[in-house]
Amino acid sequence: MPRLLAGALRLRRDPRILKLPPYLSLLCIFVGVVWLLLLPLNDYSRRTYISENALLPGQVHTYFGGSDQNVFRAYKHEVNALVGKSNIEINDKLESIVKGLGLKVACQNFTYTSAGRVYSGENVYAILQAPRGDATEAIVLVAAWENVQQEVNRNGVALILTLARYFKRWSLWSKDIVFLVTPDSIAGPQAWVDAYHDAHDSARVDSLPLKSGALQGAIAIDYAQEGRFESVHIVYDGVNGQLPNLDLINSVVSIAGGQMGMGVALQEMWQHNDQYPDRLRTMLRGMLKQGLGLASGPHSSFIPYHVDAVTLQPFGDGWQDEMAMGRVVEGTFRSLNNLLEHLHQSFFFYLLMQRERFVSIGTYLPSAMLVAVNFTIMAIALWVKSGQPESSNNTPTPPASEGETAAPAASNPAVERDIFLPLGVVTLCQSVAVIPLYLFNHASESLLTPFFVIFALLNPLLPLILSNFLTTTYRPTTQQYQLIKSFSLLLLGMFLASLATLNFSLALLVGVLASPLTFMRPWPNSDAMRIACTVLLNTVSPTSVLVASAAYWQLDIGTVLREAAFAWHVCGMYSPVVVWCVWWPAWLAGNVIVLGRPDESKGKEKVL
Amino acid sequence: MRQLFSLLLLSLLSFVCSASSDYHEQLVLRPLPLSALLASFDFRSNITLSAFETHNFRFFPRSLGQILQYANTRELHLRFSLGRWDAESWGARPWDGAREGGTGVELWAWLEAETDDEADHKWLTLTNALSGLFCASLNFIDGTRTTRPVMSFQPEGDHPNSTENMHLLYGVLPHEVVCTENLTPFLKLLPCKGKVGIATLLDGHKLFDASWQSMAIDVRPICPDDGECVLQIELTIDMVLDIERSKRPRDNPIPRPLPSHELMCDTSKPYHADDTCFPADYSANQDWTLSQVFGRNMKGICPLTDPAVPPVCLQVPHSRRVFVSSGVVEKKNADGTSRCFEISPKADFEMIFPRPEKTDGEEGNAAQAEIALADVVKPETPLLYAERSFTGHGQERGGVQTILRNPSPDTEVEFIYMESLPWFMRIYTHTIEAHVGGESKSNGSLIEEIYYRPALDRARGTQLEMRMRIPPAATVFLTYDFEKSILRYTEYPPDANRGFDVAAAVITILNRGEERKAAYTLRTTSLLCSLPTPDFSMPYNVIIFTSTAIALAFGGMFNILVRRFVAADEGPEAGLGKKLSAKLSKVLERFRKKKTAVEEQK
Repeated sequence: MPRLLAGALRLRRDPRILKLPPYLSLLCIFVGVVWLLLLPLNDYSRRTYISENALLPGQVHTYFGGSDQNVFRAYKHEVNALVGKSNIEINDKLESIVKGLGLKVACQNFTYTSAGRVYSGENVYAILQAPRGDATEAIVLVAAWENVQQEVNRNGVALILTLARYFKRWSLWSKDIVFLVTPDSIAGPQAWVDAYHDAHDSARVDSLPLKSGALQGAIAIDYAQEGRFESVHIVYDGVNGQLPNLDLINSVVSIAGGQMGMGVALQEMWQHNDQYPDRLRTMLRGMLKQGLGLASGPHSSFIPYHVDAVTLQPFGDGWQDEMAMGRVVEGTFRSLNNLLEHLHQSFFFYLLMQRERFVSIGTYLPSAMLVAVNFTIMAIALWVKSGQPESSNNTPTPPASEGETAAPAASNPAVERDIFLPLGVVTLCQSVAVIPLYLFNHASESLLTPFFVIFALLNPLLPLILSNFLTTTYRPTTQQYQLIKSFSLLLLGMFLASLATLNFSLALLVGVLASPLTFMRPWPNSDAMRIACTVLLNTVSPTSVLVASAAYWQLDIGTVLREAAFAWHVCGMYSPVVVWCVWWPAWLAGNVIVLGRPDESKGKEKVL
Repeated sequence: MRQLFSLLLLSLLSFVCSASSDYHEQLVLRPLPLSALLASFDFRSNITLSAFETHNFRFFPRSLGQILQYANTRELHLRFSLGRWDAESWGARPWDGAREGGTGVELWAWLEAETDDEADHKWLTLTNALSGLFCASLNFIDGTRTTRPVMSFQPEGDHPNSTENMHLLYGVLPHEVVCTENLTPFLKLLPCKGKVGIATLLDGHKLFDASWQSMAIDVRPICPDDGECVLQIELTIDMVLDIERSKRPRDNPIPRPLPSHELMCDTSKPYHADDTCFPADYSANQDWTLSQVFGRNMKGICPLTDPAVPPVCLQVPHSRRVFVSSGVVEKKNADGTSRCFEISPKADFEMIFPRPEKTDGEEGNAAQAEIALADVVKPETPLLYAERSFTGHGQERGGVQTILRNPSPDTEVEFIYMESLPWFMRIYTHTIEAHVGGESKSNGSLIEEIYYRPALDRARGTQLEMRMRIPPAATVFLTYDFEKSILRYTEYPPDANRGFDVAAAVITILNRGEERKAAYTLRTTSLLCSLPTPDFSMPYNVIIFTSTAIALAFGGMFNILVRRFVAADEGPEAGLGKKLSAKLSKVLERFRKKKTAVEEQK
């Protein structure tokens, strides 16, 4: 051991060691990405299993059916008659139907404003009090009047009414059941859940007049499709990439897939052959959704409050009818009803790649961590390098001007680091980032696109201006450029490493897109390299990535920004903070470095 | 012959006993709106204090009597409750809320003791003995769950002397699940043991399938002005049965969908068809029979009961027709809304409650609902509605909000609000605030008096009593914040992630004018408080992880810390072996030198 350490100490002084970090960083990025690609393989992913024994999914007979279908048809007529009417009229009718069933009904108004648009409506909800319970726990069944695609959830609302009538007959409920019908899929549930936990802004959202106990789980039905269906699509992404407990998804898979014999799909993979390409595609879609952090359905708003929730969406053309969907919900509710404790066993951090295969955080986290660590390695290397005197590129041996003895330590005299300017530049970059963050979250809808166009045009010019200003005013040395890069990468690495534990996918996406920043340096002698690097950086800038992805999914950039602003205001999505305050400043600093022209003479003077 | 004589004497004696009205039992049935049925069973017996002290228990259950004597208990109230009373639809509570407790088990008693310590000791004896008697975990009522209410409870009985040495102790177990194991010992306390009389209707399956049920035992001394003091024991069971659910046969309790021709449809809908049915209003106008609802017949009446008290009474308007089995005499009371039945001792009692006849032209839900309401006695509006819930989220702190609504348009309500909170909910008293709905500022005049006894960690819980006054037709929001403390690893129960039950708040509405007696009592629902819970497999992982880390890293690290590294040729020789070998080599060298010198000399 001591010999090894002595060797390591000797190695530290070796000048070759400082040449290593760029390669190490590159290796980290490479390993990180390859790691991710390996995950769908059988050896690295695991089969899902039910961890909470109390759930017992698919172990009970479901009785929903028979004459309940007659009732469902009647409710369907009632719902069809309401299509196109105002929110208040719809709620009045639903309220009278549910009251007739003997449930307690209440309404809640909400009004959100985002990007100059007003999102308002009225939620209506009913509480089926557990026959022998004491209002300590509750589970929620949600149906939004309009789903995320703005289709009217005709079957879903009719089904929720029929199920309310059916559930009322059972005496075995140990938890209250809340039936919630919201006018839309995102704002309505968000307003309701916020108010349920008294976390709402009472100026925008009304308090709930009627409450039950602690929410233990929620299921949302999104059944806008007419006719029979083949499979159930489970939507599980929460706001900010938070996920429901894996046990809940597994229970639904086991009930719908195992007991009812339906297909189960995830992440809009309507066909899945359980081979590597499909698994990878499912996983990457999941990661993209997680990374964006948008609400994907009525269930999304529940997850931040530690209420596990999923949306069930029937799709395809098969022979399953509405009653089968009702039985899936019944089976899931029976399972949730069995819970003695809040869902806590299983996993909250996972990537699903097929309905029965997943990887847990311990397996996938190294991937994002390695990508984040590459920045930190480079930052540390630059810090060390900036403390050593500059040597001219061609002669590795130091000029023996002082003519001292040949002790190895003496060849590396510590150099004073001039950190004021680098710190100032990095701070400036970070603080300028508040401008786009504020702009894109507070501008009104009509101004979003013009603002973005102006910003996207200014974006490549800004580093030029900043760099020009720096070189003319302060004439930074190579060391100062190194320090700017070091600080900027240090911050980036730190932010991404901690983000990886919260939202793995976002950290990995930003990390990979920002990875060229590791290798940026000033090119004082080569204009071609400078231009090439600038072009490269501008293609992976936040704005161009945004434009490119909007074009790829054929979305209007104004719509994307409006949705982002809506999610920021209503759901509390933090992805814009990561983009504008973590990624963009690092990008800006990186571009400034590329365009920089270090003042060599000044640096030399300092050493002497 | 002698045997026959003694038998005769015995029967004569029993007749005399029953005539002396020491025991009576009564069942009161009251149909409630939304097809619910309130059944109140009341069993009451008296014993003179002198007989009690000489262990001549008669109708008083001996097992309970001895416990009371041993623990010097002067007055005892024990409650087993399940479910919740739906005041919005069912109105005021039976017995004005005096015979019910919060969810779980509640016990309060007045003990006679010289000091607090002695009272605590006797309380411990009492809870442990009752725990064995009623098969309930009453022995878990320890110091942390016991409070000494100051304003809330007043003795119900007469305590002419010995008021100074009486200690009131109150304990509650909100998480206790009341079940058949508690009913069996309860029935054993009755003189007729559930074999005959109204107690035969008490079937565990039906009782614990009720939407709300409360079993109560009250023991109190009563001193009439003209006679000897008696000790009265009153056992009551109140339950609200969902008629539709109760009518299901016991061998087929699953609510399978009805065959479509039996479905009650609203035929006025335009789309009504054979396969489309808008259901008629929720089970309006149920018809039922006593044996359907309770699962069995009532077998005669208990021979010990006071014949002057009718065993079964029914509270419905006189217009409603009720059929009873033969040999039963129906007596309608003067108030127009109740009738009682005289039952012959041996005959089984059966009652049929038919669906009321439809008057002409009644289709549609609204009309039916009106009839349904007209067929039951209109529920009395309670003096106060109370609803309590948690606010906030997360595992660090939270808040409690109680919404108190005074429905009366002209009278204000004065009451005492009592909370006994577990010690791990540390409340911030400065955040206690009451404001009338609609006003944003807190109103200082609502809370008149606060009695607060702070919690001691792991020793006693918080006790908070507030005397409040609510103006007419007002809704008051009473809120306070609390902090959740972190328990020790071993203090968590096996189902730690379920959360911790917080007992119901007790609201005692004071009688205007008369200070001592409560006009109405109600309880909120209990709450489930989730505390920060560790991942219990984590310590295991941590131990393994840290052991490995220490084993691998610490050794090397320690080595580096305590050593100085120098080049091999620079430093002094070190180590015992090296020193020895160096000395040895020196000696050897000297020896060799001497040798060479000698040789040279030679």
